[in-house]
Amino acid sequence: MDPNKDNANPTILNPSDLPSRRRESTVKRRNDGASGLFDDLIPRYNYLNDPFEQSELSSDSEDGEFEHIDEQEVYDLISSISDPEHPLSLGSLAVVNLPDIRIQPPTSPFSSISTVVVEITPTITHCSLATVIGLGVRVRLEQALPPRFRVDVRIKKGTHSTDEAVNKQLGDKERVAAALENATLMGVLRKMLSTCE
Amino acid sequence: MTSPTLALSHVLRPLATLSPPSNSRTWQTAPHPSQPIVATACSDRTVRVYSLTSFTLLHSITGGHKRSVRSVGWKPGVRGQSVLATGSFDASAGIWRRREDDESEPKDFTNRNTGDSDEEEEDDDYQFACILDGHESEIKSLAWSPSGQYLATCSRDKSVWIWEELEDDNFETVAVLTEHDGDVKCVNWHPEEDLLVSSSYDDSVRLYREDSDDWVQVAAIDGHKMTVWWAAFEGSGMAKVDFRKQRDGLGEKQTQYIELLERSGPRLATCSDDCTVRLWRRRPRERHDGGTGMPSIIRSAAIDEDWLPEATLPQQHTRAVYSLSWSQKTGLIVSAGSDGKIIIYKERWKAPDAPSTSNGASNGASADDQNKDWMGEWALSEWVVVAELWEAHGVFEINHVTWAARRDKGVRWEGEEVVLSTGDDGEVRVWTLDELDVQEGEGSDADKMVDA
Repeated sequence: MDPNKDNANPTILNPSDLPSRRRESTVKRRNDGASGLFDDLIPRYNYLNDPFEQSELSSDSEDGEFEHIDEQEVYDLISSISDPEHPLSLGSLAVVNLPDIRIQPPTSPFSSISTVVVEITPTITHCSLATVIGLGVRVRLEQALPPRFRVDVRIKKGTHSTDEAVNKQLGDKERVAAALENATLMGVLRKMLSTCE
Repeated sequence: MTSPTLALSHVLRPLATLSPPSNSRTWQTAPHPSQPIVATACSDRTVRVYSLTSFTLLHSITGGHKRSVRSVGWKPGVRGQSVLATGSFDASAGIWRRREDDESEPKDFTNRNTGDSDEEEEDDDYQFACILDGHESEIKSLAWSPSGQYLATCSRDKSVWIWEELEDDNFETVAVLTEHDGDVKCVNWHPEEDLLVSSSYDDSVRLYREDSDDWVQVAAIDGHKMTVWWAAFEGSGMAKVDFRKQRDGLGEKQTQYIELLERSGPRLATCSDDCTVRLWRRRPRERHDGGTGMPSIIRSAAIDEDWLPEATLPQQHTRAVYSLSWSQKTGLIVSAGSDGKIIIYKERWKAPDAPSTSNGASNGASADDQNKDWMGEWALSEWVVVAELWEAHGVFEINHVTWAARRDKGVRWEGEEVVLSTGDDGEVRVWTLDELDVQEGEGSDADKMVDA
């Protein structure tokens, strides 16, 4: 046991058990019907217009081409982030899990802003690094996703002793911006994200 | 579009984007109190000064801060020069000065005097004057008092500092207020009194004033359920210009209501992570007869103020509302935030058959209190959305929005204002507010706004 670590003996998942695009068929579709692996088959708005025109209309302002992004892609972006205290990925530690990722479509036909909600599960309830992990997930997604995505990272309810405080911090744009200008914290984040492609 | 709170009678149309924009996030834009210029706080550690006449960059103030510049403010009431305060994530505030030329002197299109010598060239830039050190972490906001006597700063260190300029570049700390339990996001001053407001990550809003040489908290406002990002007072003397201007044909109650608002003084508007914009009104002080010789200990208690919830504006935002601005020319409120929308609200009299005027009977003490103060549902006025603009900065968040005097050649009437929005895309956009024809207003205004 390493006394310096919050959780010296985490549960580690077998890499072959992790959801990935290659073994798509093994991933259960979420039963709420609102979002899931098959999102890219459904037009984002069958509202007002011909559904076949929609994907053209909602084109990404960045590259002119609308790119469908689903939960699996978000999972792939963040599961490879390294845990700050173990040489393991957040996916293999089950800190990030596919069923805890939700993509919410724009709230109105006049908007192209979607929201990605990621609930993270710290390895133990008093894990002091929960904020850093959450920040790493938020930063990774803000850097990798097109700007039309708002990223909300939260601690999964009931898994952390101070989840409300951590959530408030992770949701505060100004605090996140200031954190990214902190060299020490950026060093930690850079190390965590170095294992991402 | 038939909702009583959504009467889209106006449309925001793009006038200009200040050019060139910043390459990174811009936080806030402050219009100069008299010159046709604005200062924009940028995350690239600089301040950009743009012209509101040509919409181009005039100056870039660099080299002062080690982190993002989060907040900027022009000192009011200064002659012959411009004084700018900058607040940064590096925990310091800077004061900058620039000599302003007589406006009657000829200038070329770059707004510089023609025939500059090298010496004048140097003089033409913003000169660093002094640094205000004291905060332990990021400065989030700063504001000059209307007289220019005080500068308030606030920080993630949970404190609000009040600085007084004793002589040029000699600032003294006159107060360190530590009432908040979290980051202080915003500070602003009352337009008529030395009354300061602060809003915070602790979800509360607090007001302070000086009492026997000490600055003390005089009110705490709870009501928002999440971080309060911005707090700003109504302008001075707004009853002469807003919906209260037209006095003919008003009922007795409406006249009383105007008098009540007058006694309360300028109101307060706040906006929050909880997606709401709320208004607060001070309960007018009871008149004391012959209360002049009160001992100071009682006077201290009497300085407390009661700020009551007057209204929650129609909720149009779906994500955090970061900023609002209350026009001192028209009384219109503009708000913007994470959802990228800009919303304009207008106050008007409620229809005569509305519950507030017909409902004479009320139940319970608290309802009586509310009734007496004509707050909330007993208010005789209501706020409606008159313009709504989606994706004003494309898919990017809007960090700040403010009214400013229109200063380009296209100005249509004396006192016309524009809306300035500052976004994560590094752009400051300028919008005009245009009234729609009646038929237009009845129709599909939303489509028009998207087209615009």
